[in-house]
Amino acid sequence: MKRMICLAAVLVLILVPAFVFSGGKQEASEAEAAAPAAAEPTTLNFALPGNPDSLDPHMTSGTLTFQVCKSIYDTLAEPEKGSGKIVPALAESWKVSDDNLSWTFKLRSGVTFHNGDPLTSADVKASFDRLMSEETGTPHFKGFTSVTSIETPDVNTVVFNLSKPNAPFLGTIASGWSAILPKSLLDSGHDFDSKPVGTGPFKLVEWVRDNKVTLTKNENYWMKGLPKVDNIEMHIIPETSVQVQSLIAGQVDIVFIVDADSIPMLEADKDVYIEENLTALILVMAMNCENPTLSDIRVRQAINYAIDKQKILDIAYGGGEPINTFMDKSSAFYNDVEFYTYNPEKARALLKEAGVSSKQEFELFLPQNYALHVTAGEMYQEMLSDVGLNVKIQLVDWSTWLADVYKGHNFDFTVIGHTGKLDPDGTLNGYGGGKYVSWYNDRTTELLKDAAVTIGFEERKALYDEALEIMAKEVPFVYLGSSFRQTGIRKNVEGFVITPKLDTFDFRWTVVK
Amino acid sequence: MKFLLFVLKRLLRLVLTVLIISTIIFFVIRVIPGDPALVIAGVDASEEEIDAVRARIGTDVPLGEQYVSWLGDIARFDFGESMISGESVNKLIYERFPLTITLAFMGIILGIVIAIPLGVLSAVKRWSFWDYFGMVFSQIGMAVPSFWLGIILLLLFAVRFPIFPLFGIGSLKHLILPAFSLGFARAAVILRLTRASMVEELSKEYVITARAKGLTETMVKYKHALRNALIPVVTITGIQFGYMLGGAIIIEQVFSLPGLGRLFLYGIYQRDFTLVQGGVIFIAVVFSLVNFLVDVLYSVINPRIRIS
Repeated sequence: MKRMICLAAVLVLILVPAFVFSGGKQEASEAEAAAPAAAEPTTLNFALPGNPDSLDPHMTSGTLTFQVCKSIYDTLAEPEKGSGKIVPALAESWKVSDDNLSWTFKLRSGVTFHNGDPLTSADVKASFDRLMSEETGTPHFKGFTSVTSIETPDVNTVVFNLSKPNAPFLGTIASGWSAILPKSLLDSGHDFDSKPVGTGPFKLVEWVRDNKVTLTKNENYWMKGLPKVDNIEMHIIPETSVQVQSLIAGQVDIVFIVDADSIPMLEADKDVYIEENLTALILVMAMNCENPTLSDIRVRQAINYAIDKQKILDIAYGGGEPINTFMDKSSAFYNDVEFYTYNPEKARALLKEAGVSSKQEFELFLPQNYALHVTAGEMYQEMLSDVGLNVKIQLVDWSTWLADVYKGHNFDFTVIGHTGKLDPDGTLNGYGGGKYVSWYNDRTTELLKDAAVTIGFEERKALYDEALEIMAKEVPFVYLGSSFRQTGIRKNVEGFVITPKLDTFDFRWTVVK
Repeated sequence: MKFLLFVLKRLLRLVLTVLIISTIIFFVIRVIPGDPALVIAGVDASEEEIDAVRARIGTDVPLGEQYVSWLGDIARFDFGESMISGESVNKLIYERFPLTITLAFMGIILGIVIAIPLGVLSAVKRWSFWDYFGMVFSQIGMAVPSFWLGIILLLLFAVRFPIFPLFGIGSLKHLILPAFSLGFARAAVILRLTRASMVEELSKEYVITARAKGLTETMVKYKHALRNALIPVVTITGIQFGYMLGGAIIIEQVFSLPGLGRLFLYGIYQRDFTLVQGGVIFIAVVFSLVNFLVDVLYSVINPRIRIS
């Protein structure tokens, strides 16, 4: 008896505080005091979900690298905020010769690098020489294979000579990896990985890996009056729940991507607002046409009929707009064709016709570090089993996904999102000639090749329209849609811009009040 | 002299361990799917671009050659450069080590401070309130995953009652919650062991003898029995310390701490071969050193055990 009493006493002791803690509303504990005086420097606290691999944009393809580097470096041209149109940046203007084989860029004068060097055509040439050379080990030289030479007739003029017309060239020039670095430091073998020096709106103060990236305003930035905020502290916080709590507590001002579960909590907070943007993502479930069953177009059609796109977008990705071909919804090149609307009856009939038995097993590979794709994958599995397909889920880490699934073609289905590109060639290049879905279509290959050397929007659009229609009809994918991105921002912060298509952070117009 | 020989022998064993472990990790990390060049180059890269990256990071040369040159490097205590970030692995480990070792020490000390007194108390006053408290505590401690405890602690003591910071480093305050999450499960294990070991010692004949010759109960329990009871506890605590280094991986993720655990975790995610290899060897050496220290500590606690 005594034992029982003791045990009960202990349980009570442990459980009571738990109830006390779970009850009781939290008082609004506003940490911030009154708004800082006008002269006081302002600091933006930003939650960064991971540590960038490197701050040398030439040498990597890491998303986080480009997102951070956007504030440190500039490119000759850039996508305009809002519209996404490619507009002058470090180059104030450019001209293309009549034969489309020579691009002349006029550089802005009075631009200086963070180390004080003035920007000249020599810096531009040195940067592209590094980016175009196979020897430096950059993963971006292929975009420049048509460039035969770079000339610098004077300090403010750079001429790119091409061997053939290159329609995506301007898109390549405006992409994050085409950043301009100072020649003097390139020559001396400076460590750009950890000590970036550019012409961008902010300078790097300190980067404590896995902890914090600190940036400070570049007083001599070439856009007058910008940037508006004095300092940026990017706190590296891997856990999404901690990011959200930090936003509520006011320890960070912006959380770039808020997961669907946390939205209600933030909506209830009067100090936070949520900005919703359509991403440039092309969300898909890819099908491997190397699999004999999936090489049958009827099976691929059936799978497309089986998927309720809007439902997956809403539940797994926090909303979005469905697409029916391999192009993001916001692109000017999007071709609005639709062949397979959600119809499970039709799906079952087609599968029966193709003779797919429910015993046949398909493997659906999901990249486990992308929680959204995993949730989506579970929904795909359910919808497919609803029409009688036997789908097994395999979770793999990102490196395995890249090597085994993407490069090794060792999959039946996989769920992934293709990131936005400034030019449709970046999105489509290679499809029709296999790629990871092993889908072959000579007409598509031909169209895409032509489109890459055709200049003029209307002419290119006609070619891409046909290619995208073939892809929409042949469906080597389930084209799901482009999702919305919910960004959580504290009310005292305004003007946070996300670069269209590239989805990088642009703090030039950001104001902290 | 005997001690010197012992140290020498242990050192030799350490070298052998490192050699075996380095060989295993070198090949294992390459056998599992994944390629650092693909991680760097990304999905849009062409074959040629991936090859260019391979040449830059040095995975294009034959495996045997890579292995021999790497062994040469570690013989000079140089772990090479990280394949992903290009930084020296030695420097990365050197920068991250202090945080993780501080965390592990704080965790284990918190664990000991909670566990040993409670364990002894449970054994001495069996079936009392404290004994039940200790038992429930250790059951919960072993059942609760440390990342969950970490998040709950953050919600309680950083959000609801904002005593501690939500993320970041720079003061002892930043380490208290993570150390507690780490130490909690360790405390549970140590507590159980302390109790069991103490109960066993108290039932031995020398305790009866000690009582018979008229020693005070305090002397019997806390001088004679406790000292013997602590021997297995020291061993387990040493092993637990090794686990702390592993547990730090999860805890550093939850508390956004830039320690060794996160360094190695992302190294593994990204197949940063050189970083993972360096990391595994480093941990193996630390583990061996801790075990060595535990052996030395043994002879201090119990002079009957002679180092041999």
